[in-house]
Amino acid sequence: MMKHELEILRAGDETADTLLLIHGINPISPKAAFVADLARSHYVVAPSHPGFGASPLPPDFDTMYDMVNLYLDVLDHLPDATTVVGFGFGGWIAAELAVAGHPKLQRLVLVDPVGIKIGGREDRDIVHMFNTNPVELNHRSWHDPAARPAGIYGLGWQAVISDDMTDAEMISLARNWDSLCLFAWRPHMFNPQLKNWLHRISVPTLVLWGESDRIVTPDYGRHYASLIPGAAFETIPRAGHHPELEQPAAFVAAIDRFVS
Amino acid sequence: MTNMELWNHCENPYPFVPAEVLDAAESVRASLPSKYCDPEIAARLYDEVFEEYQRCDEVGLNIVTNEHHSGINNLWAASPVITGIVARMTKKVRILSLGTLITVRPDPVRVATEYATIDVISRGRLDIGFVKSGATEMVSGDANPMRIREREWEAIDLIEKTLTSHDGPFSWEGKFFTHPHVNVWPRPYQQPRPEFWAATSDMPTCAELGRRGYVNTLLFGGYDRTRQAFETYKQARAAAALPAPGEDRFSYMAFCYVGDTDEEAFRIGQKIAWFLTVSIKSAPQMSKFMPGQLPPELTPAAWRAGASKRPTNLTVEALIGQGQMFAGNPDTVVKQIKAFRERVGGVGRIIMMTRQGLVTHAEAMKSFDLAANEVLPQLQDLSPIEQRAAAE
Repeated sequence: MMKHELEILRAGDETADTLLLIHGINPISPKAAFVADLARSHYVVAPSHPGFGASPLPPDFDTMYDMVNLYLDVLDHLPDATTVVGFGFGGWIAAELAVAGHPKLQRLVLVDPVGIKIGGREDRDIVHMFNTNPVELNHRSWHDPAARPAGIYGLGWQAVISDDMTDAEMISLARNWDSLCLFAWRPHMFNPQLKNWLHRISVPTLVLWGESDRIVTPDYGRHYASLIPGAAFETIPRAGHHPELEQPAAFVAAIDRFVS
Repeated sequence: MTNMELWNHCENPYPFVPAEVLDAAESVRASLPSKYCDPEIAARLYDEVFEEYQRCDEVGLNIVTNEHHSGINNLWAASPVITGIVARMTKKVRILSLGTLITVRPDPVRVATEYATIDVISRGRLDIGFVKSGATEMVSGDANPMRIREREWEAIDLIEKTLTSHDGPFSWEGKFFTHPHVNVWPRPYQQPRPEFWAATSDMPTCAELGRRGYVNTLLFGGYDRTRQAFETYKQARAAAALPAPGEDRFSYMAFCYVGDTDEEAFRIGQKIAWFLTVSIKSAPQMSKFMPGQLPPELTPAAWRAGASKRPTNLTVEALIGQGQMFAGNPDTVVKQIKAFRERVGGVGRIIMMTRQGLVTHAEAMKSFDLAANEVLPQLQDLSPIEQRAAAE
């Protein structure tokens, strides 16, 4: 039994290779096309972090240290070795996890991750998610904001609040947003020390980037990948910060190529 | 018998930025470029408001300072700095810092040190007020907006312990603050410590203030919310078997203008509405979408189209009707304050926000004279609220 109770989305055949998905600002949506596509040939396990989705938030759980140790617990409790795929904020968690290392963590995919500081002290590597106008955030997060999938929420969701949204959706988004802030307000979305330890990542690693991401740019991604020994870097055209949502087919193809 | 107190609160606003700049800005707080603040004008404003405080000291109005940051609504910026100046230039009245932003400042021990110093300089005339801080302040101060109530209480506890410990260093290892060696000089002039106030209308917080016996002040809360807050305070004390609070535990801040005539006061009072119409404009990410501002279950009502907290009816008459402004000739204002006191179940300390918006220095000085000389005397020796209710 894990110490923490987590909501977990599971999809696919349990005997297939496991993919542990570590979500970004919102939990992995069961409605997302890429989940069904991945589940055709993989066993997908996607927990909601404490404070996100239906996972409870313990009163003292509020640092990246907690999050990394929680996911080490999650790995302990997975039946088999796994590929860990982290998205955005979850990419930061995945990178920390891979630096810590775990025998069941055998491959790593980072999708538009945050988590490190690269530029000078007056250069902002990562757009401030809580102090940027939602319209601007929406514009920067998507290759084509108008074509974002309905009912699945990535960055800039505040700009698309409409009366079609249910109260439950809004309450869930608000809770996720609050929880994200606990972990990532300051320093904003990075651990100043992480960059110095990425060399410890010893598993095959793919760094995937939406070519149009202007929350964290592909150049940031190239630099990130260069700090991880042997990591491959690939971009996905016509996608922003959420390539798995904007270009699910290209995203799944990249995962399949890497895993096989 | 209740002797009510009048306090003057001025935020030292800067209403001189061109309207087209303010219209184009997404926020007039936190992100408005400082190139729009002319230091010559600011220097004049500081002089004027300090002169107003000097007058308050002469006529017997207590003084409130506060701080907000990076915007047109407030030039104080560092309440302890301003309060220290006021402490030195006044001789008689009490001074309340309401307050420095303890949820933003990293070291409560430093805050306690500043306040202890001010208390000594003023020879024991300092009151210390605590505020949770608004969303724009989280941005200006780079403070995590989550869990700020817990952070605020721990900061208050550490400040209190710091002000009341005089036997050498003590250690603090809390959830939000650690300090292994706390030993503040000077110790405060008032023993065991200066009076604590807190500005809140959050009911669980009001209850905790009641248990602790701090002064509970509401800002523009209107009749119903203020009454509910004070009731919550009283009930929490009763539930904890603590003595019933006097009216001096309750305070209320309202816009206020006292003129020779109602007509004059209404005309000048209308200029205060600038505070509500112009100075609170803030970007959505610094207001309704800032994490931690509302419990998640309350967000749909705040986020749906048409939901807006921006006030709509801002005439003096409406503000008076809502209990958010006291304005008129001295007798009118006395009637308004007495009626407010009745309706909220008793309140001993009225904070007047007078030099606000486009109200001028001369207009403010006139209102202070009238408030002190003609309003305050009529608010002394008032019968207790309950007794009168029983007599009726």
